[in-house]
Amino acid sequence: MLETKAVKTRARKIKSDASIFFRLKNFLKKPQNIILLIMTVCLGYLTLFPMLDMIIDTVKVHPAEAMRLGKANGDLTMNHWYKVLIDSSSLSIFWKPLLNSLVTSLGACLVALVFGGAFAWFITRTNIRWKKVLSSLFIFPYIMPSWTIALAWLNIFKNPLVGGTTGMFTAITGITLPNWFCYGAFPIAFVTGLHYSPFAYIMIGGILRNMDANLEEAALMLNTKRTRILFKITIPMVLPAILSTFLLVFSSAMSSFAVPSFLGLPVRYQVLTTQLYRTINGVNKGQGYVMAMLMILIGVGILAFNQRLTGTRKNYTTITGKSSNIAYINLKRARTVWSIIFLILIVIVSLVPLISFAIESLILRPGDYSLSNFTTQFWIGTSEQNKIANAEPGLFRNPALWRALGNSVKLSIVCALTAGTFGFLAGYGIVRARGTKLSTIVDNLAFFPYLMPAMAFSAIYLAMFSVRRGIIPSLYGTFFLLVLIGTVKYMPFASRAGINSMMQLSNQIEEAGDIMGIRWWKRMTRLVVPIQKSSFISGYLLPFISCMRELSLFVLLVTPQNRVLTTLLYYYNEKGWSQYSNGINLMIVLIVLLVNWIVNKATGASIDKGIGG
Amino acid sequence: MPRIELEHLTKKFGDFVAVDDLSLDIEDGAFVTLLGPSGCGKTTTLRQIAGLETPTSGTIKIDGKTVFSSKESIDVSPAKRGVGFLFQNYALWPHMTVYQNIAFGLENLKWPKDKIKERVNELLKLLKIEEFPKRYPAELSGGQQQRVAIARTLGPNPRILLMDEPLSNLDAKLRMEMRTELKRLHHETGATFVYVTHDQLEAMTLATKICLLDKGLLQQYDPPLTVYEKPKNIFVADFVGNPTINLLSFKAKQLDSKKAVLEGHGFSLIFESKDPFEVTEDVKLGIRPENVRLVEKDDIKATVSSSLPSGMETTLRLLLPDGEALSSVVFGSVDFKVNSTLNIDFASNSLNLFNEIGDLIALGSAKLGEGPRLE
Repeated sequence: MLETKAVKTRARKIKSDASIFFRLKNFLKKPQNIILLIMTVCLGYLTLFPMLDMIIDTVKVHPAEAMRLGKANGDLTMNHWYKVLIDSSSLSIFWKPLLNSLVTSLGACLVALVFGGAFAWFITRTNIRWKKVLSSLFIFPYIMPSWTIALAWLNIFKNPLVGGTTGMFTAITGITLPNWFCYGAFPIAFVTGLHYSPFAYIMIGGILRNMDANLEEAALMLNTKRTRILFKITIPMVLPAILSTFLLVFSSAMSSFAVPSFLGLPVRYQVLTTQLYRTINGVNKGQGYVMAMLMILIGVGILAFNQRLTGTRKNYTTITGKSSNIAYINLKRARTVWSIIFLILIVIVSLVPLISFAIESLILRPGDYSLSNFTTQFWIGTSEQNKIANAEPGLFRNPALWRALGNSVKLSIVCALTAGTFGFLAGYGIVRARGTKLSTIVDNLAFFPYLMPAMAFSAIYLAMFSVRRGIIPSLYGTFFLLVLIGTVKYMPFASRAGINSMMQLSNQIEEAGDIMGIRWWKRMTRLVVPIQKSSFISGYLLPFISCMRELSLFVLLVTPQNRVLTTLLYYYNEKGWSQYSNGINLMIVLIVLLVNWIVNKATGASIDKGIGG
Repeated sequence: MPRIELEHLTKKFGDFVAVDDLSLDIEDGAFVTLLGPSGCGKTTTLRQIAGLETPTSGTIKIDGKTVFSSKESIDVSPAKRGVGFLFQNYALWPHMTVYQNIAFGLENLKWPKDKIKERVNELLKLLKIEEFPKRYPAELSGGQQQRVAIARTLGPNPRILLMDEPLSNLDAKLRMEMRTELKRLHHETGATFVYVTHDQLEAMTLATKICLLDKGLLQQYDPPLTVYEKPKNIFVADFVGNPTINLLSFKAKQLDSKKAVLEGHGFSLIFESKDPFEVTEDVKLGIRPENVRLVEKDDIKATVSSSLPSGMETTLRLLLPDGEALSSVVFGSVDFKVNSTLNIDFASNSLNLFNEIGDLIALGSAKLGEGPRLE
């Protein structure tokens, strides 16, 4: 650009002569600023405040340990940090579970990336058969609760070595499987990996689909072999995205609780989350909070790394093309073989768990799979018939079940409505005020609960709201507390969905209404929401389904009156009445699949369009 | 009637100054284009007039009424400024039909149903889209979408129409057609048009006045032909015109108050103006391509480096003896051999002479001269 004299004079400082009051008024005239301000206050109170509370609790003497430490209740102490990180006990409290968490999460990532990535490549780049059926079945495990496959694993492979009955595999073949196969690191990593492989498929598949096929075709024109194209062009191109998928799966696997507790505890294999549950629930709350803090730090670290990664210029995938008619690789004779292999694998992962729940809920004596042992009494039997399980009536006649089902549905609907609405509004405000400090603050605040381990989060809420705080009365045992924590915890899903959909919507669409004098409320209801209908509903669907299958967030907070399906399942499982827990599990999975299917058919919104654990 | 006055308008985004102390008077019924390279502040200026962006400081008056003043704490909302705004990507509401798109704003103004119907039909006719009231925007071509967007904007009869690069998404042929259409609309509605573009040809052909901005600063505000012939500085000269103006560097020496000798590129020129001027040591001479004329007589020698005949005219790329390149436009259907040598001179009494900081110092003629050498 040519320099002119005029341009050189611009170095002078420009100061606005507008009064602060006028600027404030202008600031508040924009609806997005009001939304962001309210969000900052509310989310600050509901996320940062608990966090601060927790930090303080890590350096405070708790009532139960005052005597042992020889200090007064509430005194300053570094004892918790010392015990968790340095003392000889730290090895079993923190370092060993940390190592186990790292090993299982890493293993889970590998399984997810290899299985999900390979499937994504086959679907987007080859002429494999039954693409539609395969890909809709493939995302089943992602929609189902995370422990589904874990329970199925136990149903099938359970060995009698650690006590209890045997699984179907042993019952049919007579082979007793070794412990390493049934419990601990291997099945945890494998099962968690299977659960997240649909996530890897959605991410990598999306990238492969959006990647300009011309790039591969250009190499093809230069006479490059297909395999060479895959390794020299396709994989390097999607590598940053693969890495990002890797990190997201890794952090989700790190914070998963149910799978390691089902598959690890029988052999006392502790990971960070199960250890956290132990310490918070009994051993020592202060130490538990230290561990929760460390877990949050790890989560933040992974996420920050991921953000740096996707923000660099190596992230080529943002350059997307619309060339969709790439020539599919002809698998020739291998086509049918590959199609069948994938179909079998997917059926095993997606449908076999459901079948195993159904069977387990129908057998009288666990471990005996002969036809004469089948009964429907755990579903429809009266309490007189069910002598074994403490005269608990069959599920369909059981008032506890109906109440839990009602609570679950009510809670999920309310949480979905609140989290979805507030999340969408947050997303709206964040995108509209993009680049401002306030927008960044709310963006981070709304995402923060995603990093909080659910267990730690609920422990803090339990501590915070079990007493009266200012104008807020004690909330323990109320339905409202469950709604509150659910709303905050699922906000990240909804706000991400909101941000994504608002990013796609040009600001001008709304300005065109603004300039005609159409008020904000009408602009939202008549323009923004109808246009973004599908992702708007996804923002409700994700919290609904997450809430429906949530265990660790509610397990500390429910009372017998407001017990939900998942905690009822946990209760039956602890009692050892596996027929009931399997039956409830089947119900949860079917409800979740059904709701997803109905919403998908009715509105086109779908859970696999968002991210989540 | 609507006249727009901007006084000391400034807009900062953080530390970045998008619009820097801009004062502009847009007369009633004018068709003003805001022209400049991307990032020069033209769209920001337009959005501030509309009220979509809040200025950091300054005053905006529409029709004599202050709609924004940072000093007096006045900020009238966009809807009450009586302006229409045409967006670059049309911003049609995808979930509404053509009819609904146009009617929505009128419904909001609480117009009676039959009046809305009448007005929408009138607009559909005016913009020649009567066949499509029931279609959705996605079912229309780019040009048709543009027409719907214009109809929607014109709906409430705005006295001022602000347009943000409305034709940039259209193909070349449609763009020509829509330019004619816009000029017709300007004539028929009698409204004041403010039009943002980075396409200098569009600005030249449409506007009654061009406002050229660079880096947030006003460079020139004049009718198109004045901007073309008397660019205030090198930036303006270079930005306007296609092919771009030739800018040759010379060492200059004053002969008398209206005359100077320019030395460089293997020859020397006598520059003469009607008005007195003062040269600096280094100057640049701006010569429009159509003023680089081929002559029979022995004059400045140049070799042909490329020749691009288009039928109506031929654009030549010439090389001066020292290798400096020069473009020339020769009218008529002629072609030239590459590497042939030609004689050229500079025909015009309004060649632009710029001083060393790039400001215009004189308009005049330049002839090959034997005049006194500099050294």
